[in-house]
Amino acid sequence: MARLRIGILSAAHVHAPAYLALLARMEDVALAGVWDEDPVLARERAHAVGTVAAATPAGLLAESDAIVIAGVNRDHRALAEQAAAAGVHVLCEKPLATSAADARAIIDACRRAGVLLMTAFPSPWNSVVEALISAVREGQVGEVVSLEGVNTGEMPDVHGAWFVDPALAGGGAVTDHVVHLADLYRRIVRSEVVEVYAVANRILQEGFDRVETGGLVALRFRNGVFATIDCSWSKPRSWPTWGGLSIEVLGTGGAIAADAFRQRLDLWGRREDGASWRSFGSDANAAMLRAFVDAVRTGGEPPVTGEDGLRAVEIVEAAYRSIATGAPVRLDPPA
Amino acid sequence: MSGERVGVVGGGFMGGTHAAAWAALGVPVTIFAEDAADAAGVAARTGAATAGSLEALIAGATIVDICTPTDTHAPIALAAAAARRHVICEKPLALSAADGEAIVAACAAAGVRLFVAHVLRYFPEVAEAKRIVDEGAIGDPAVIRLKRAAFRPRKPAGHWLFDPARSGGMVLDLMIHDLDFARWIAGDVVSVQCRSAANERPELGVEHALAILRHASGAISHVTGSWAYAEPAFRTSIEIAGSRGIVAYDSEEARPISSWLHAAPASGQGAVGIQKSLTREDPFRDELADFLGAIREGREARVSAADGLAALRIGLAAVEAARTGRVVDPAEVA
Repeated sequence: MARLRIGILSAAHVHAPAYLALLARMEDVALAGVWDEDPVLARERAHAVGTVAAATPAGLLAESDAIVIAGVNRDHRALAEQAAAAGVHVLCEKPLATSAADARAIIDACRRAGVLLMTAFPSPWNSVVEALISAVREGQVGEVVSLEGVNTGEMPDVHGAWFVDPALAGGGAVTDHVVHLADLYRRIVRSEVVEVYAVANRILQEGFDRVETGGLVALRFRNGVFATIDCSWSKPRSWPTWGGLSIEVLGTGGAIAADAFRQRLDLWGRREDGASWRSFGSDANAAMLRAFVDAVRTGGEPPVTGEDGLRAVEIVEAAYRSIATGAPVRLDPPA
Repeated sequence: MSGERVGVVGGGFMGGTHAAAWAALGVPVTIFAEDAADAAGVAARTGAATAGSLEALIAGATIVDICTPTDTHAPIALAAAAARRHVICEKPLALSAADGEAIVAACAAAGVRLFVAHVLRYFPEVAEAKRIVDEGAIGDPAVIRLKRAAFRPRKPAGHWLFDPARSGGMVLDLMIHDLDFARWIAGDVVSVQCRSAANERPELGVEHALAILRHASGAISHVTGSWAYAEPAFRTSIEIAGSRGIVAYDSEEARPISSWLHAAPASGQGAVGIQKSLTREDPFRDELADFLGAIREGREARVSAADGLAALRIGLAAVEAARTGRVVDPAEVA
């Protein structure tokens, strides 16, 4: 069986090195190379895994069967449209786009070109999350009534200045963190979000106020389930890890709480280093990339579609409208 | 000693708890309850005297301590104020902002003190969290998460606690603790959004609500209140994230004693779950001692009448928000 040739189209995202390392280890994958606007970064990322830096997106696309878009959020649409036009399958980093219009354009471009589009939400492959979803499916909490989720973290400027630049990222904490839980909730509840209310502020991370750093979002699903998301960049630099994701599901049969990153060792070193947490959980990114490669090979529908990415972006967009107006915003996605 | 004498009204869990705390503080205490057997039971356990009527209780007391169902707070408080007695009132102060304001006004006009028993402010982990914020250790509060997840009170159907017309429902009875706590930490609340299972899915018989508050300071708060967990859960958690740091507490993580016993003892929870801390201090006793000291010394207590009224308005705003789906300003509730 021929190896699937996969390239990394823009490597600005913090996940790019991990994706490259994981793809390099997959026996049925051949790395096609790395392109980035910044040729130095492209070379650095490429050489770390023994692949080549491409001079142009077109050059990389010509050598690729599929690509992973790991650029700044604003560029997702242009890069995805280029890939689709070249007949190359797309795995796009989250959020799928910085507007619902751009997300729809990406979906349309891929559909017209007949290429597969998957949104890179790794959380469905987090093994703790998988266990939670199984427990809910088995009916352990009875009928689901309410979900409460926390996806908070450090301010991501430590992973690249663009993450906190509204022109490049599309927003702040709401853009960065709401999509993961919004997507997981849709999988747990199996219904669509019809109302979004959100509040935000710029108090956390003293001295920084370019984008919102604190945010709380309330969602209402068509089937009557209600939920909230805390998406704040509320973890200080001294926090033992980047942040975390947890969900509590409340139903007629009681409650189950899942902490997606609780599989960890607590590490103390030198006094000045403080405590740190080392995860021993299964690698969700590895499983997500495997699912993408399998979907490309079989031509099946990917487990996280472009539409899933769009639904999450619509929720983010509605959250910003609600923050601006102070009132709940209605959505009417297809069932 | 200034010779304060307390009259406790109500012979339920809270009346008994307060009578015991007064006795521990060495304050003469008399109790009256609608059901004389309840009063007699509390008297036998605590050494309190009993009164034959509410009028007799008020006449013989200098402080009237109201531990009755919420719908009776206003008439009892107004009667106590009319007799120029200091008033201590269980939370919530009343069932409507109008009644709450009438109580505040009547006590002010009578020249007596009024305290609303938001006992949460006297729980050690809560008081320590407030101290940490006041020290400036986390900078300006920005995003606050407070959770209070209990089992459904083991009370018969038809009990006043389950009748929104008498208790205000779970939001006004239980969640109000954390609505007050959020305001204590981040100041006045300007809008409340709330979703409650009782409104969204009344057919399920589940009492669970999530509220989002905006404070005048710009801070935002997320508050969870629940009677939907399995017994004997009484989970509480606190997370206050600020401009310079974060302070957090979770009752599930902060267990000083764990046990794996073949013959497990009873949970220790009564019919209504309560928050427990393994500290020598008793939050109920500390609360009443603070109120007593405030009366004797003419100083403010940790929780004021205005705090109690403000918490009531936030709670009523949450109830209104859950009922209508609107975002409600606590200043606009009636």
